[in-house]
Amino acid sequence: MVTPDLTARVGSLLLKNPVMSASGTFGYGLEFAPFYDISRLGAVIVKGLSLLPTRGNAPQRIVETPAGMLNAIGLQNIGVERFIGEVAPRLEDAGAVFVANIYGRTEEEYEEVARRLSAVPALAAVELNVSCPNVREGGIAFGSTAKGLYGLTRRVRAATAKPLWVKLSPNVTDIGEMARAAEDSGADAVSLVNTLLGMAVDPRTRRPRLGNVTGGLSGPAIKPVALRMVWEACKAVKIPVIGIGGIRSAEDALEFLLVGAAAVQVGTANFRNPNACIEIVEGIRDFLAREGIRGVKEYRGSFLP
Amino acid sequence: MRANPRFVGGRILRNVGHGIFYRMEVAVPDRVEFVPGQFAMVSGWPGNDPLLPRPLAIFRSGGTRVSGTVEFVYKVVGRGTALLSGLHEGDPLSITLPLGNGFRLDDPDRTWWLAGGGVGFSTVFPAGMALSQGRSDFEMFLGARTREQLPPRDWTPGGNVPGRVHLCTDDGTAGFHGTVGAALRARLEALKPPEAGRLSILACGPREMLREIAETAGSRGVPAQVSLENHMACGFGVCWGCVTEVREGDGTAYRRVCKEGPVFDAREVVW
Ligand SMILES: Cc1cc2nc3c(=O)[nH]c(=O)nc-3n(C[C@H](O)[C@H](O)[C@H](O)COP(=O)(O)OP(=O)(O)OC[C@H]3O[C@@H](n4cnc5c(N)ncnc54)[C@H](O)[C@@H]3O)c2cc1C
Ligand SMILES: Cc1cc2nc3c(=O)[nH]c(=O)nc-3n(C[C@H](O)[C@H](O)[C@H](O)COP(=O)(O)O)c2cc1C
Ligand code: FES
Repeated sequence: MVTPDLTARVGSLLLKNPVMSASGTFGYGLEFAPFYDISRLGAVIVKGLSLLPTRGNAPQRIVETPAGMLNAIGLQNIGVERFIGEVAPRLEDAGAVFVANIYGRTEEEYEEVARRLSAVPALAAVELNVSCPNVREGGIAFGSTAKGLYGLTRRVRAATAKPLWVKLSPNVTDIGEMARAAEDSGADAVSLVNTLLGMAVDPRTRRPRLGNVTGGLSGPAIKPVALRMVWEACKAVKIPVIGIGGIRSAEDALEFLLVGAAAVQVGTANFRNPNACIEIVEGIRDFLAREGIRGVKEYRGSFLP
Repeated sequence: MRANPRFVGGRILRNVGHGIFYRMEVAVPDRVEFVPGQFAMVSGWPGNDPLLPRPLAIFRSGGTRVSGTVEFVYKVVGRGTALLSGLHEGDPLSITLPLGNGFRLDDPDRTWWLAGGGVGFSTVFPAGMALSQGRSDFEMFLGARTREQLPPRDWTPGGNVPGRVHLCTDDGTAGFHGTVGAALRARLEALKPPEAGRLSILACGPREMLREIAETAGSRGVPAQVSLENHMACGFGVCWGCVTEVREGDGTAYRRVCKEGPVFDAREVVW
């Protein structure tokens, strides 16, 4: 049996395989070193970064829901300066492909974070988080209209020479229109979906279960919605689409590749099983070998609707 | 110095109910070294619901270099713990461990008071066992709603030594009639300053109990380490879901219970 070719292309980047960790669920990647060698992943998307250190939302920040979870972390992070000074040098030693996930309250902040990260050699690309439902300013405001998204992406595009990915929100009416806005403004790829806006309440105390009242739903519960949106985005644009949402197994990942995703990201699954990403890499390889398929590039997009 | 966390497959050796508590012994691939107060993320059910593993304190570990065992003590409070209680000998478990920062027990010349409220004893008993082995001087304060909900005496480190264990019940059916916090305060007020000066407190239990102990200890300058609980998704510091507010500089900041904790200096915590 021939070993299948797992390499996956996302624009100018050729990745070892199509499996990446999703931002906010994998720390800076280094936290997973005790479990396995993270350089075996296609890429590691690091925790969302903002210009200034961010305190995050008041607890409770997470609630479990049927086959899913709500989070309202509020992007607690050390800020771009400390990231560059303290974390980035350690990323260089880890030998993995790293992608920064960035967030701003204003267009200027996004632009500034992207500009400063341009000088970090350890980063292979920048992913623009225009879709975080858990912060009041910025974020989702840019990601909820095609016009806002277009304007922001153009600005950030001009601020960095790194490949630019735009991470789309599922909380929109027409995902294809949003993907096209990202493509038209010069993005190298789109990734989707971020979390679905949701909430949970306690009938006894009559209070919200999250400190932030509403939060973002992730995990297996959102997979069918994510898959449909990824399929629609794939039909709408020519740039690569990265599929995200509820992926827990190789079969889940294959479904996203099948409808046209160039690669996938795995988030919430890392919490239950720290080896989830690497098991998915191995599962995809085994599936392709078993089915006699030469590689990921041959399989992806071969959906027969 | 701290052991790296591992993600292992375990098999249940024993999972037996004792009153309202279950004690579960699990075979794991190799011996687990842990600091009392450290914990594990445990799941033992297939499928996506419940989705997340559950944090449980490491109660005891044993074994040799080539095979290990680890024990947990838990109380059924919801779906995850109910599912655990239904598992049998031979059933598989997924476990990430050891996690978090345990109690600091390295100060030799101290008298230790260990306080456990409800199932919180499962976190402080390992500290008691370590202190017994080191022949340190310690006392236990154990609280429950009622007599039947106290931990079994033969699990209690020093349980047979007269005067070592102070039981407290909310309804007065055993020991002191009142909370662990009140019993501890009464005993502290009776101590002479030199004795109080040698004292260190370790505590785990409901937040209200920990707050009361922090206040009592703080007012007498007694160092107290408290083990906090929170809802957790990952347990190893990557989701930032489990934070608690602590003092930092002139203000406060959110720290992760699973990574910077679960044991905190009581003076740091914003109650
Ligand atoms: C570091 C740590 C160590 C722990 N050690 C032990 C132990 O040794 N033995 C033991 O019995 N329990 C321990 N716990 C608590 C245990 O994790 C929870 O009881 C368990 O997760 C509940 O799961 P469930 O599915 O049964 O309940 P759920 O259905 O999830 O919840 C039932 C009820 O408990 C509340 N709850 C759930 N999880 C927590 C939590 N972590 N903190 C506070 N309230 C919660 C819920 O809000 C709900 O009201 C520990 C918790 C932490 C954080
Ligand atoms: C705890 C948590 C934190 C997250 N933080 C970020 C973030 O900082 N930036 C971002 O773009 N997405 C963030 N996400 C969204 C995930 O990257 C992912 O898009 C989403 O969870 C759906 O994938 P999943 O179902 O595999 O988790 C976060 C998700 C979770 C659960
Ligand atoms: S539970 Fe994920 S950071 Fe603590």
